[in-house]
Amino acid sequence: MQKDWKKIAKANGLAISGEGLDRIAQTLDGLEQSFRPLVRALGPETDPAPVFRAALEDAE
Amino acid sequence: MTLLEAVLALRRGEVSSAELTAAALAAIERLNPATNAMQLITADAARAEARAADEARARGEGGGALQGIPGAFKDLFYTKGVRTTGGSQLFASHVPDHDATVVARVRAAGGVLIGKTGMHELAYGITSSNPHFGAVRNPWDRDRIPGGSSGGSGAAVAAGMVFMAMGSDTGGSIRIPASFCGVVGLKPTYGRVSRYGAMPLGFSLDHIGPLTRSVRDAGAVLNVIAGHDPLDDSSSRRPIENYVPDPEPSIRGLRIGLAENFYFERLDPEVDVAVRAALRTAESHGAEIVLLRVPDIAAINTVARTILLGEASAALEPYLDQRDQIGADVLALLDQGRLIPATDYINAQRLRRVMQREFAALWKRVDCLITPTTPATAPRIGETTTTIAGENEDVRLAATRMVRGINLLGLPAVSIPCGSDRRGLPIGLQIIGQPFAEAQILRVAQVLLPAEVPVPQL
Repeated sequence: MQKDWKKIAKANGLAISGEGLDRIAQTLDGLEQSFRPLVRALGPETDPAPVFRAALEDAE
Repeated sequence: MTLLEAVLALRRGEVSSAELTAAALAAIERLNPATNAMQLITADAARAEARAADEARARGEGGGALQGIPGAFKDLFYTKGVRTTGGSQLFASHVPDHDATVVARVRAAGGVLIGKTGMHELAYGITSSNPHFGAVRNPWDRDRIPGGSSGGSGAAVAAGMVFMAMGSDTGGSIRIPASFCGVVGLKPTYGRVSRYGAMPLGFSLDHIGPLTRSVRDAGAVLNVIAGHDPLDDSSSRRPIENYVPDPEPSIRGLRIGLAENFYFERLDPEVDVAVRAALRTAESHGAEIVLLRVPDIAAINTVARTILLGEASAALEPYLDQRDQIGADVLALLDQGRLIPATDYINAQRLRRVMQREFAALWKRVDCLITPTTPATAPRIGETTTTIAGENEDVRLAATRMVRGINLLGLPAVSIPCGSDRRGLPIGLQIIGQPFAEAQILRVAQVLLPAEVPVPQL
């Protein structure tokens, strides 16, 4: 599903010019294309790493 | 002269801190107009600190590891009583009332603060072409960028102004300038060095480390700044060790990973040749080169970008209504971050866990990885796209391609020069280690770079 970044920006009250918004939308579309499939493959058992530790034994 | 050679000369009484500091200030006066590496020079305070260091030494006191050594800090480290801007107009008159932990530790070790280095605005970019303080220029070719965001630190060390400059690295910001400027740049493990008092960009991605002209110097600075800090929640309690490698260390039997995928794709051929030559050198010193496939680094980079977009916009949100005070490239990134939903940020942090586990499995097969630091040498100032191996690529994404993911994983990595291209521009390689294996990657680095890096004639 393609996101409408312009509507999202407007809903967030961001005052971004049309040309600037086009560039941002293009970049975020690219990121979305590579990010979304990763999220779809994520199982429900994985917790986030809000306080990140570089060594696994410290993280768990 | 390296930092450790200067330390030795000071201890032997062959030179004074006042003389070293005067030489550094003279070098800055001569070279800074061409490079703009130093954003603020604290000459009077530096002379006074140097005199105090010499007087302490004469009294038999003050035997700190950096006693009397002049150094510089990227202008995002809080320095008590000294303006700290983060390279931003937003903080143009900000004077902290305390030192960042790394500044305090360098001072406690006797270091002399000679000034603050230029940087990419808010540390959010890789060119260091700062709209408020001017472009930092690469000492090897002043028409080219020094990399960033710690571009001033890279340029100041490369040009020979200072023995050491501190940098920060959220997506490659120590290693990219090290690669483009031909110096050593060390990004320690996340949590090894306190972030307290460093203006944040990405809370969970920011790392602090030194840029120097020798590998042993980087280890010497890490000895001073590493260790637990109760002021930083992410700071590790793991014991520190001696990070300065022997001058001729052994890497016999060490398993060095050579990636079959990702890291040697879309490379400038000269970079490919130089990094592979370094791998052969490591092999000739007894290391075992292990061919292997690494996890999906492009996916790791995607997750790192998502987290950074969210964290940077969160950190800077109170200032985002002052749009006319922020440069166009940084403002675009901050706007993007405001459009990332919380669910994406959280899922990115979940993916980070998965990727951390995947990458950890790699360490059963190898002790470290050697990769290029950047796929090509320094681009020209003002270039936004570059052609590498026949393909056009955004300059920022190209420069961060090999380094950004390592911030997501929090692994230690060091960039060292490994030759030059046909234009005489430095080529950098990156050694990536297991968590808290700084001493090991510095040993490998020392084998590959046993001497001080060359300083360009400006």
